[in-house]
Amino acid sequence: MSEAATQISPSKNLTIKEFNEDIRQGKIEGYTCENCGHKQIDINEFCSSCQSPKLRKLEFSSEGKVVTYTIQLVAPEQFINEVPYAWVIVELDEGPRITGWIPFISKSSELPVGQRVRFKKSYLPGIVFEKI
Amino acid sequence: MKNVYVLSAAMSKYGKSPLSARELALEASRKAIEKAGITPSDVQGGFVANAFSLSEKQGHLGPIVMSGLGIPDVPASTIESACSSGASAIREAWINILAGIYDCMLVVGVERVSQLDTITATTYFSFGSDYVFEGACGASFPGLYGSIARAHMTKYGTREEELASVAVKNHDNALKNPNAHLHKKITIDDVMKSPVVASPLKLYDACPFSDGAAAAIICSEEFLKRLNGGKPEGVIKILASGRAGGTGALHQRPDLTTLKAAVLAGREAFKMASLTPKDIDFAEVHDCFTIAELVALEDLGFFPRGEAAKATLEGRTTLKGEIPINPSGGLKAKGHPVGATGVGQVVEVYEQLNHKAGERQVSDARIALTHNVGATGGSCGVHIFSSFD
Repeated sequence: MSEAATQISPSKNLTIKEFNEDIRQGKIEGYTCENCGHKQIDINEFCSSCQSPKLRKLEFSSEGKVVTYTIQLVAPEQFINEVPYAWVIVELDEGPRITGWIPFISKSSELPVGQRVRFKKSYLPGIVFEKI
Repeated sequence: MKNVYVLSAAMSKYGKSPLSARELALEASRKAIEKAGITPSDVQGGFVANAFSLSEKQGHLGPIVMSGLGIPDVPASTIESACSSGASAIREAWINILAGIYDCMLVVGVERVSQLDTITATTYFSFGSDYVFEGACGASFPGLYGSIARAHMTKYGTREEELASVAVKNHDNALKNPNAHLHKKITIDDVMKSPVVASPLKLYDACPFSDGAAAAIICSEEFLKRLNGGKPEGVIKILASGRAGGTGALHQRPDLTTLKAAVLAGREAFKMASLTPKDIDFAEVHDCFTIAELVALEDLGFFPRGEAAKATLEGRTTLKGEIPINPSGGLKAKGHPVGATGVGQVVEVYEQLNHKAGERQVSDARIALTHNVGATGGSCGVHIFSSFD
């Protein structure tokens, strides 16, 4: 084994705590890979595309479009007072996808797939989006 | 590759049980041991497939179950892979037997969740998602599959009536299964009018929260030779085992109309068995929600992409159809005691291949496939079995 391969460095990647604090501050953070340029919003030590460890934190823009969604009428504990709402998968304009929710959506006619949405700084739990 | 066998398989009735997970596991294990014609001391090791035993304030189920079988010195550990814990445990036993470590293993899958109210159970199940991004952002389990359903409807034009036809068929099959959780005939109209849980999925698109256990004795050729001249009653053969992973979170996947783990696990199993979907006489697939059965049929290659919905509505997957799917009633109506489910699928295969499935018997069943998905496809196990001869 080479000397370099035995060196273990502390992680410089995004932690869940930082991710959640950034969300509360109105910022979406993920990573970009310095080797292949892949961008993803996730908690990783290696790039999902090329497995390089050279990941750099990156703040993403807040706008994108809805890829798919569901309207929750039965919700987990933290959200029981929020129903009905839409849980959404959003493709951000830079490419990576993220999940979140949009309050007060009760009918599918209110949220066509492809709808433009914007991430919104909020006191509510999770990652909140609003229609543009 | 060496031959590995399912010497016996048995289950508790699925449904709401006053018994705890350990008691359910013991009941199914005892039945499997008796059916195999062996004694507990023949068992050299075990796996307990389980996801939520901590909700009953009990971890470390392995030694608890083995002690209850009178063999406390025999090692056993829990295998957790969400809803595919059962297939994962079957595969690990298969690997252990292939490796020559053991000749006879007990696999028992078990779950008990009926002590939890609906909101708490919904919350527990959401822990099987990538919680930071999904559960903590408001997604319930039905919600995750609801978003898969909408993606499938958007891409292929799949209709809610077609989803409903999966539930109607599986309820029909479960009427013929005395061990099934739900014994209720339903119509497409009943499904369409049932309350929305997570659109487009409604109550009757979803499997119930079930308690139950299922067990199987997995053994080597050498072990078989010691019993009844090498051909004990009921024994079936494991032709192949495939297993693959996928991203925990849906938002990391480019295509939400397929579970890549199922595609890969299916491919591995078909290759190992040198078979194609056309060779399969019937399949037990992971229909935790109606959409999941349609995605499974397309991922495994039983129907081309976007065509499983129409095929199901036309009755091509019924007991008398060209490829019977979920003759047991599936997760949808037989029930879904999470850790037990993958092992319970093997119980159905065991009964069908022995032509002992009663009114729901698939005629001339000789080769069968099981497909067991963890959460929304973070893991998937596919097994192919054949009758002994």
